[in-house]
Amino acid sequence: MIDRSDARSPSRRRLLRSAAALVAAVALAPAIRAANGSPHGSPRDGGDLVFLIDTLGPTWIPNNSAISSFQGHVWGHVTDKLAYVDAEGKISPWIATRWEQTADATEFTLHLKDGVSFSDGTPLDAAAVVANLDIWYAGRIKDGINPIGLFPKTYDRAEAVDPTTVKVFFKAPTLGFIPTLGYHGSILISPKTLALPAIQQADLAKTAGSGPYRVAAWKEGDFVKLVKRKDYNWGPEAVGHTGPAYLDTITYKVVSEPSLRVAAVQSGQADVAYNASPQELKSLKDAGFTIATPRYLGFVNGWAINTKLAPYDDVKVRQALQAAINRQEIIDTVYTPDWKLAASFLQGNVPGATDQSAYLAYDPGRAEKLLDEAGWTRGRGGIRSKAGKPLTLTLYPNPYLATAKAVDELIAQQLGKLGWKVDIRAYDVVTFGQKVAFGGPAVPAYEVTRSFIDAGSVASILTDANNGENWFALGESDATLNALRDRIAGASSAESRAPILDELQKYVLAQGYFIPRTQIVQRIYVQSPNLKGETYNGLAYASYYTAAKDK
Amino acid sequence: MRNAYLRYAGIRLVQAVVVVLLAYLFTFVVVSILPGDPVTNVLRDPQNGFTEEQIKTIIAAQGLDQPISVQLWTSLSGFLVGDFGVSMRSTRPVTTLIAEVLPSTLILASAGLAVALLLAAAIAYGTQFLPKRLGQGIVRAFPSLFLSVPGFVIGLVLIHAFGFQLGLFRVIEPDSAWATVFAAVALGIPISAQIAEVLIANLDHESGQEYAAVARSRGLGRVRLFAKHLLKPSSLPVVTVIALTVGELLGGSLITETVFGRTGIGSLVQRSAAAQDLPVLQAVVSLAAVVFVLVNLIADLFYPLLDPRLKLVGGTERRPTSANESAAPAPGSVTG
Repeated sequence: MIDRSDARSPSRRRLLRSAAALVAAVALAPAIRAANGSPHGSPRDGGDLVFLIDTLGPTWIPNNSAISSFQGHVWGHVTDKLAYVDAEGKISPWIATRWEQTADATEFTLHLKDGVSFSDGTPLDAAAVVANLDIWYAGRIKDGINPIGLFPKTYDRAEAVDPTTVKVFFKAPTLGFIPTLGYHGSILISPKTLALPAIQQADLAKTAGSGPYRVAAWKEGDFVKLVKRKDYNWGPEAVGHTGPAYLDTITYKVVSEPSLRVAAVQSGQADVAYNASPQELKSLKDAGFTIATPRYLGFVNGWAINTKLAPYDDVKVRQALQAAINRQEIIDTVYTPDWKLAASFLQGNVPGATDQSAYLAYDPGRAEKLLDEAGWTRGRGGIRSKAGKPLTLTLYPNPYLATAKAVDELIAQQLGKLGWKVDIRAYDVVTFGQKVAFGGPAVPAYEVTRSFIDAGSVASILTDANNGENWFALGESDATLNALRDRIAGASSAESRAPILDELQKYVLAQGYFIPRTQIVQRIYVQSPNLKGETYNGLAYASYYTAAKDK
Repeated sequence: MRNAYLRYAGIRLVQAVVVVLLAYLFTFVVVSILPGDPVTNVLRDPQNGFTEEQIKTIIAAQGLDQPISVQLWTSLSGFLVGDFGVSMRSTRPVTTLIAEVLPSTLILASAGLAVALLLAAAIAYGTQFLPKRLGQGIVRAFPSLFLSVPGFVIGLVLIHAFGFQLGLFRVIEPDSAWATVFAAVALGIPISAQIAEVLIANLDHESGQEYAAVARSRGLGRVRLFAKHLLKPSSLPVVTVIALTVGELLGGSLITETVFGRTGIGSLVQRSAAAQDLPVLQAVVSLAAVVFVLVNLIADLFYPLLDPRLKLVGGTERRPTSANESAAPAPGSVTG
């Protein structure tokens, strides 16, 4: 399981030997090439990539770790998915070459690519896909294997019709099923691995996927080394390459100190540093490093407002809050121009997201007017009050976003000028999970960071229907929102759903239910200029399947 | 005499078992009173999208909704038969996790202690024999300086200077020889300060003794006087300090390992504490208690070898803490 030989510095003799071999190879290469006519493989083949990452997450049980912001990088290279979702949310075939669905979107037929195998030799056939769908939906809870939280809860069953055809049945229309197949949780794992008890699935070396790389060695909390599968020939056509990967190995190495990760890339000791501070990006870009700030498909970073909690039960106060935030200043102060202004509560790259910037314009005059109308008048120290109570807002920076507190502090200044008294309470991940919840008794604004693949799932989150998360604590009280939710859930095509989604976005923003801050970038990559050709999917994960290093 | 030793060893063994059990229970209580648990914390990550119902089912399946007393009995009954259980964070056996990281920590702690001893000896030598014009006073300030600079700052400075600027080691290979040397230096510097302080105090005392004056008057060289005559009687209390620094070596390794990117016991504790991974924390704390008790026991047994005047009487022994005590043992603890 542990391979330390590669982790040591080469001895001087080994270095000399390697250098001599390299010189000889360079000198002889043209002659050999001329003799063979054409070289084997691509001229871009070879090379090792070192990716420095903050952490490698808690467990490696595939179901429990697939959507981790950190482990997702490894899974993206070790496993494949049935469908591919690109950075613009476009869904295209991968292991499923095509699919059909019934008019009511309750029954789907998937046609699989032939000849695909997992790294343990097991074929990736219809039976394997059924085993995966079953465990995504239900997990094996008693054994410690969780279901995939965002897998459609309307799933009924799946059947293998023949080795390359799977039929999937749902209890209700589930338009989001096909997009879900490209979600980061939907990774295809060998049925042999899935049959293992949780304690063995937690050993990454025992996991077999069908991806372009397989696990060569790993040590918990330290590193994961992947080597390429030379027989891989089933990549997604959307990335323009389907054969084996170019890079020989990828090593994900944990370096928890952010400045060390970046310094290691600057000094040429590593190729990619994950999650650098936004403030460092400009100077790194100027120094010639590649900076990538891909956006995932999902909600923008913003607040879900608790409409049960005064004064946010008053639409005018919510609308004032919407107009009181200078979003451009957030980008200029906390971020860089790589971050984009929010134009809705959906990220701009989500299919179905529409431009609602008019609702999000910074208009302090309007905000003051709305607050005056609502009876909040300026008092001592400029703080507004009504019936002796000050206008307060308690903010809980989301611990999953490193810049959340800095943004809160800036917004506190902006709101302070208009008469708000803003209190910021920063908690660690554990305390945040315990104390801060949507619609919580002391939580007027819950800071959202959430990805999804299909905008159809949005409506069910906003109210409490079907175990929905009831983001705005409205329950079933808003008839307009309920009607929009039901029309979206019942839509059988993306085209018929689009205008309803547009209506939903307008309504939620106009009511001040959701207060966007900026479009979210949760994954920041600083990359050596020698590394080229990587791709980013709809979840903003970098894939080095198509990447190569300059020699 | 033999019976006294056996009785002494027996008492120490019982004490050790009690200490380990208390450490185990203490960890359980401390972690249990914190809100949340590793399973719930992960489930509540909003990205996971679990419903409240799903979270409740999963928690019940893992037995985390059981009363604390039941959870304690389940864990204690396993621990008593040598079963450390399974990590709640990673779902891997705790013994596997510890076995993976222990060698790295042992290497770092040993190297750190070696660095600390060498530095302390060098500083102590400097305070006695370095001419005043060459900065004897400055050398005396080193222990205070070393204690006041945080360990992680020393680590970061070493990494930037020797890793990035001089290229002596690669950050991504923290277990390489050079990286281990610098990690040991970062770990050893603060510990050397405590050893040096005790050593200097005792050397000051010893060098004022008549036998030292006689040795000097007979023309004995500085190095010989230091190594052959002064160091041995001065180092008896140092043994006590070294035994007590084992805790700091383990604690200091946490910070040093994090800064240098080494995966040892320290980083395992850090990950487990952040996730409230009770089985791992209990196992590591118990292991640390065993090591601490063992090292102190060895230190106790080592004293008579350094100073034959110290003998065991009635199953108890006094530990010397100053040069005066080591030179003139307390009445009643010395036999002919």
